Amino acid sequence: MSSSAIPYSTIRMEGASVAEFSWDIRSPLDRALVAGPYGAQGKAGVSLTEIHNFDLAQVMARRGKAGEMIAAAKARFSAAAPETPRAVSAADATLIWSGPDQFLVLSKGGKHSIEALAAGFAGSASLSDQSHARALISVSGDKARAMLAKLSSIDLHPSVFAVGAAAATSMDHTSVTLWRGKDRDGQAVFNLLVFATFAESLWHTILDSAAEYGVTIGHSDELA
Amino acid sequence: MRITCPFCGERELGEFTYLGDAKPQRPAADAGEDAVYDYVYLRDNIAGVMSEHWYHGGGCRAWLKVTRNTLTHEISAVEAAAGAGAAKVGA
Ligand SMILES: [Zn+2]
Repeated sequence: MSSSAIPYSTIRMEGASVAEFSWDIRSPLDRALVAGPYGAQGKAGVSLTEIHNFDLAQVMARRGKAGEMIAAAKARFSAAAPETPRAVSAADATLIWSGPDQFLVLSKGGKHSIEALAAGFAGSASLSDQSHARALISVSGDKARAMLAKLSSIDLHPSVFAVGAAAATSMDHTSVTLWRGKDRDGQAVFNLLVFATFAESLWHTILDSAAEYGVTIGHSDELA
Repeated sequence: MRITCPFCGERELGEFTYLGDAKPQRPAADAGEDAVYDYVYLRDNIAGVMSEHWYHGGGCRAWLKVTRNTLTHEISAVEAAAGAGAAKVGA
């Protein structure tokens, strides 16, 4: 019998058997995302960038503790946490509204990991680590709005959806957190957080929607 | 049909799930079998203005109380259901 056929419950936690399991951290889009051009030839109208290696924590106020949670966020980030659908840029984190009395903390490098946040929010909020539970896709380009309009009923016109606007919404029947980041090279940047297990499905839908405009696909470790 | 979520704003119907009548109140523990039966099983089939629970599952995941005319689909009020977010139930 090969070692891989040993039932999990019989594996002892010491000795060599544990080492035979390999837990690779990889993106839920690892298989689907192919960097480079896609769709129509010529100048790409849509740019898709998957952001890797981020820390994402869900912060959710306990019963009757929303005020204390906001105060704890202020102490931690020196910024007012969002109480309406918007994304707030703090010095080294983005706080994104995700529902009433809750928000997401997006950051890098472990500074605001769930372990780092725990003490500050003790008693006021429940925290849940979402770092490996979501994929983060950044959408920009001349045709970004036209492409997103096929998937979303949110009005993304600049006069309505300005920098810092956010929405908890659905695209192609998939729940997403959508927000507009800082402009890059004079162009709007739309960020999408999608549940890991739905990411590949939504990715294919995004590619189908974007193909006619020409797409450039890449990775980044930088938060948009 | 669109519902204006008090947290998210106006959204398409596809983001919401219907639960049903928002009127029934859980009877007291000693209310008796008939009251519990009524609460669990019996519903009015209202042709007109009705108070309903809807779930914004495709958005902010809050429960809402929607006042809707079942004949015209006209929505006259939307509010957060008791206990939405960190609010105390009944607060
Ligand atoms: Zn909502």
